[in-house]
Amino acid sequence: MSTRSIGRFFLATFALLLPLACATPDTGGPMTGKDLASAVLGGYSIGGINLGAAAGVAKGANEAYRDIPEAEEIEIGRSVSAGLLGAAPLTVNALQQNYVNSIGMWLALQSGRPELPWHFGILEAPTVNAFATPGGNVFVTRGLVERCGSEAELAGVLAHEIAHVVQKHQLADIRKNAKKGMMLDLASLKSGGLGGDAARAFARVGLEGYVRGLSREDELEADRIGVVIAARAGYEPYGLVRVLQTLQSMGQDDSSMAFFLKTHPSPSDRLAALEVVMPPSFEQMTKPNPALARYAPAFNPTRK
Amino acid sequence: MKLSIPTVAASLLFWSALCSAEPATSVRQFDLKQSPSGDAKAVATVTAGTAVDVMKREGAWVQLKAGSDTGWTKLFDIRMGTGPVAPAAKSSGMSGIAQTLNLASGKRDSSVTTGVRGLDAEMLKKAQPNAQEVTTLAGYASTPDQAQAFAKAGKLTPRTVELLKAAEPPKGAPAK
Repeated sequence: MSTRSIGRFFLATFALLLPLACATPDTGGPMTGKDLASAVLGGYSIGGINLGAAAGVAKGANEAYRDIPEAEEIEIGRSVSAGLLGAAPLTVNALQQNYVNSIGMWLALQSGRPELPWHFGILEAPTVNAFATPGGNVFVTRGLVERCGSEAELAGVLAHEIAHVVQKHQLADIRKNAKKGMMLDLASLKSGGLGGDAARAFARVGLEGYVRGLSREDELEADRIGVVIAARAGYEPYGLVRVLQTLQSMGQDDSSMAFFLKTHPSPSDRLAALEVVMPPSFEQMTKPNPALARYAPAFNPTRK
Repeated sequence: MKLSIPTVAASLLFWSALCSAEPATSVRQFDLKQSPSGDAKAVATVTAGTAVDVMKREGAWVQLKAGSDTGWTKLFDIRMGTGPVAPAAKSSGMSGIAQTLNLASGKRDSSVTTGVRGLDAEMLKKAQPNAQEVTTLAGYASTPDQAQAFAKAGKLTPRTVELLKAAEPPKGAPAK
């Protein structure tokens, strides 16, 4: 190979790698092969050829949400939030609501989508559950917050929900279950407002999704990514593990767990899956952090 | 440091909640350690399937009482609750039916009693959108700057952590 052709080779290699480098967020947020392929293939065109189209983007649920612009994803999320808040309002405790938003935003900044308009809320419900909508809205019930014994545990729960948003699990589910034409008329979603027909239709599909629950694969993926987001944010990584153990200790007969257990893999199943993948290096990240004692004055855990 | 009475009261409540013993079962044989560290001296050996009491949980560790012995082991060495450890709880992938019946804990969903009314399927199905609460929600939002300050006050330092790979290969499209 001549010097010139080697130079040409390196130039070509560099040109190929450049989009890859750009697609990796500075935050080091979670990004799966799926997202990476989306960012690299979907977001770049060379010589007027859209690489996503040229690559013959595979059909299926994973790909279905690709062409929903972020602004519309956020509107869909607002609609679903309005529906969810119609089922259970926010608790009236500004101290706790602000606290949850501080933890949540700090975690979200370490995720693959730090730029979303993230909102976190505690729902006035005694039962155990948590929800995420497309576009960055995360909710935990009062019943679940009361069973978190520390800031790291609450962070573990919030990070799991943030992971659902980052991976667009709910968006894919809504896309899959939307009635014909709904996804084509996203413009009227914004103009109609949260009380409009389009928003109501999306709220319906979103809430039906919570009743159905996501797939086991989605839940276990959110567990794996959530644990990493919490660790990246400086929390010890076993917060979610301890919450799942607390839920495990509550057992099948606890009525505050009934709906949660119908819509999620069992805590035992999730713990077994996490045990296999959490590396021994995580145990070095568990140095006690006295500064997090700030949790106690804001929350009165009623763990049993 | 000055401690207000509510702060002390809240702390007491917090610690007493953490210190109350909870029943659990060992899922494998392990050594109980004197302190929460791999290098710590072993005080006793606990065999699989032993009923134990959880005293407290800290990071990756749990403090147990097994018979007359008290010591520490890893969180994953125990399962909360009593009863036999079902092999179905292994992550080898339960079938959809096994999941629905919650075989991992040996009990069926249908045994769930109704009592606490909260956010359930019925309430989600009949919910009417509440636009006012969406505005209230936005009012509680934290800015990135506020979140940074919150992290600093909590001595939370960002770390570089690799994503965790799924242990089991994806088995095609999830059955819904």
